Amino acid sequence: MIVPFYHVLILAGLLFLMGISCMVVRRSLIMILLGVEIMLNAASIILVGASLLWQNLDGQAIVMFIFAIAATEVSVGLALIVWAYRRTGSVDPGDFNILK
Amino acid sequence: MTIYSIIFYLLAVLILVTTALAVTRRDLVHAVIYLIFSFFGSAMLFYLFGAPLLAVLEVIIYAGAIMVLFLFIVMMLRIGKSAVRLFPLSQWLPAAVGGLIYIAIGIGLIAADPNSHIVLKTARADPAVFGRYIFEKHWLSIEIVSVLLLVAVIGVLLLARRSPRHPAGQTIEGEL
Amino acid sequence: MITNWLPEPSLSAAILATFLPFVAFLLIMVFTRRYPRLSAGLSIGAVSISLISAIFLLARHWHPQTPLEYTGQWLISGDINIPYGYLLDQVSLLMLTVVAGISFLVQVYSLGYMSGDTGFSRYYAFMSLFAWAMMNLTLSPTMLQLYVFWELVGLSSYLLIGFWYEKFSASEAGKKAFVMTRFGDIALFLGILLVLVHLGNLNILELNSPRVSSQMSAARITAAALLIFGGIIGKSAQFPLLTWLPDAMEGPTPVSALLHSATMVAAGVFLFARLFPFFSLSATAMTIFLAIGTISMLLASTMAMVSRDIKQVWAYSTISQLGFMIMGLAAGSYFAGVFHLTTHAGFKALLFLCSGVFIHAYESNDVFEISRQGGRRLKIPTVCVVIAAAALAGLPPLSGFFSKELILGALAELKNPVWLAAGLLGAFLTAYYAFRLIFIILFPRESSSEPDANHAQDHVHGGYWQMAWPLMVLATVTVLLGFFQGALEDFFKESLSAQAAHGGHPAWLPFVAFSCAACGVLLAWVEFGRRSADRVGFVEKIAPLNNLFAERWYIDHFYRRFLDIFIYGMVSNMLTQNDKKIIDGGIDGLSKATVETGRFVSFLNNGMVQYRLLTIFVVMVLLGIYFFF
Repeated sequence: MIVPFYHVLILAGLLFLMGISCMVVRRSLIMILLGVEIMLNAASIILVGASLLWQNLDGQAIVMFIFAIAATEVSVGLALIVWAYRRTGSVDPGDFNILK
Repeated sequence: MTIYSIIFYLLAVLILVTTALAVTRRDLVHAVIYLIFSFFGSAMLFYLFGAPLLAVLEVIIYAGAIMVLFLFIVMMLRIGKSAVRLFPLSQWLPAAVGGLIYIAIGIGLIAADPNSHIVLKTARADPAVFGRYIFEKHWLSIEIVSVLLLVAVIGVLLLARRSPRHPAGQTIEGEL
Repeated sequence: MITNWLPEPSLSAAILATFLPFVAFLLIMVFTRRYPRLSAGLSIGAVSISLISAIFLLARHWHPQTPLEYTGQWLISGDINIPYGYLLDQVSLLMLTVVAGISFLVQVYSLGYMSGDTGFSRYYAFMSLFAWAMMNLTLSPTMLQLYVFWELVGLSSYLLIGFWYEKFSASEAGKKAFVMTRFGDIALFLGILLVLVHLGNLNILELNSPRVSSQMSAARITAAALLIFGGIIGKSAQFPLLTWLPDAMEGPTPVSALLHSATMVAAGVFLFARLFPFFSLSATAMTIFLAIGTISMLLASTMAMVSRDIKQVWAYSTISQLGFMIMGLAAGSYFAGVFHLTTHAGFKALLFLCSGVFIHAYESNDVFEISRQGGRRLKIPTVCVVIAAAALAGLPPLSGFFSKELILGALAELKNPVWLAAGLLGAFLTAYYAFRLIFIILFPRESSSEPDANHAQDHVHGGYWQMAWPLMVLATVTVLLGFFQGALEDFFKESLSAQAAHGGHPAWLPFVAFSCAACGVLLAWVEFGRRSADRVGFVEKIAPLNNLFAERWYIDHFYRRFLDIFIYGMVSNMLTQNDKKIIDGGIDGLSKATVETGRFVSFLNNGMVQYRLLTIFVVMVLLGIYFFF
């Protein structure tokens, strides 16, 4: 007996919210990526908890793939950030406003 | 109130606090370090939920590789403290409003689901069993993920190449 | 029914009489405004046909019989049936003749008076409009039709008072007249509604029948009578709504002669006479009417004593004489009021028309100015004005003497002697102020220089005879009408059957009345006429009294303060604030809110990535709401 499932849901929800806030509020491209990572982590927690609830290994399989994809995405994202930094000299998303 | 639930609450507190700290730090390096702690907490949570392979993988891949990569980039780009005020009102006010609505809806959703009141039972996914399961059921996804990783490596190499117009001496990487 | 009107000569005469002036009005307004002589011709032609028709009707129905009524279907709603049409009985036919006759004379007079005026055609159009409205009013069979034409008469009065609209005081006076009479009309309409609700129909013959007392309770009859009398107060300028009539003198003098002395203001008294049986059912109402008539009569007489403007004196005199008529009717004598109405129409119109000649010649309304410039050199107007003033004062053997004596006789029959005393005091004051004016004109103080006189004669010659012979006609009527009293009494005998005969007034009454009038004339002679008189009235010597009368007993001031404090201060202010703050504020606020919302939402297009991310999350949350709830 661990906890009722909705506790896990609340935990993951709060974590997801923090990820969103990090992504939207912080004025730095790197923090945006960090926020993405936090959100993915929250999703993983939920999936693992759900697989424990339903005693089904599919949830954990999904989490595995999430790890792989997160790694991919972070590397590509960081490469893009480096490239953008080289072009404009700043990592403030407010400076990337040519699309205004 | 079993021991497992106490562990769960402790871990939950740890994760939430460190993530909150990570989000609110000015210094990027501090933020990344706090996030590493958060991921450690997550790993332990995974172990509690009966996924030991995932717990280990989280530490290795997430906390070990991804966050270290972040540190590399932060230090390479010499991004120091963010100078301006951290949370200007024009940014966090709409976010706060959205967040409150989100919490309200979230709690509504959670309370509406009858399944959410089921108490989790401890179990354990043996790594061998887990590995077999994945390779038997989700072999296609594994292949696709491998290709994805390949593509990512090639892409990153392309992106990170110095453009020929900037000679090595004038870029920061040239100095490293 | 009204469709087969050809074989009925009375009906066709009635239709001709009343409808032709309206046709003239339309034709003038639409087609002939640029042709002044053609417009005048149309109007005078129409009203002369009306006069002929009226005389024809009067002659045809001279011997008393039951009232003749022609009606057609108009308003039918459930139980309520209000027809339109014509009611021909004694008082309406008499009034019709009076109105048509005086309209005709005044329109002929206006040919001379208004010649050269730029609004000549418009003037005759409005005159025709008035004639149409007034004649239909006299012949109305139901209260609703009477009310419609009552309002139309008020409208034409407004149009004619403010005829020279470029003059600010004239348009103000027109507005004042209209608004003040409107107050009376509100009361009249409420009275009509009260009668309609409780009696079921508005037919005048029905109202006058004895069946009413069984269908409406006494309290309701009193209330309805008081409300209808409110309309009479407004239209006939009685206390407290009397200040519009002196201001109405801003209009051309023929207008004052026609509307504001003989016919329109007499419409109120006419209504009283019309509904005389109905009003008689309520003794309290009659007493109140008596009081109001007395107050108006005395008040207006005092105001006339100190006025220098020739038209204003006659305006106050009109108010006073209308009050006198109402006293007569309210005292219970139907014939006395109606007879005085008829004679008053004659000599008051004559007074105004004579004054009009003086004003036209000397371009001044001030009596002293007119006399100084040699007013009495104009022979015909002077003679006529003396005759008319004598009739007003009640000197025998003119018509005014007979009608006044009848009213005083009716007052003498009342139990309370105070009404008779008031009537005699009124007679004294009337004689005084009338002859004050006459002596000022007749005996000028400063010798007038010759060039002025010549100038006056030249000026007058153009329209002199057009203005003169209506004067002579009216003067003849004034002299002779008194002797027709007997014939008219027989004419009215049928409608008097319900009332007590007026005979039996004390024998001393004519002598007392005559002596009162003679005292008034004598006092005026002492003060104004004698060679060594100082020409200042006894009232004018007492400064507070003089001010009181000259300021119209401060009634106007009271109204002005009341208007300023309550209407402009409170109601207008409240409505203006409401308009500015709430309505304008609401709409401005709406537009401001829209602009602000736009500004708020525009940040999304800032180009900043994170705002777009935020938008994504918000939309996801909303989608979550949509799908799960």
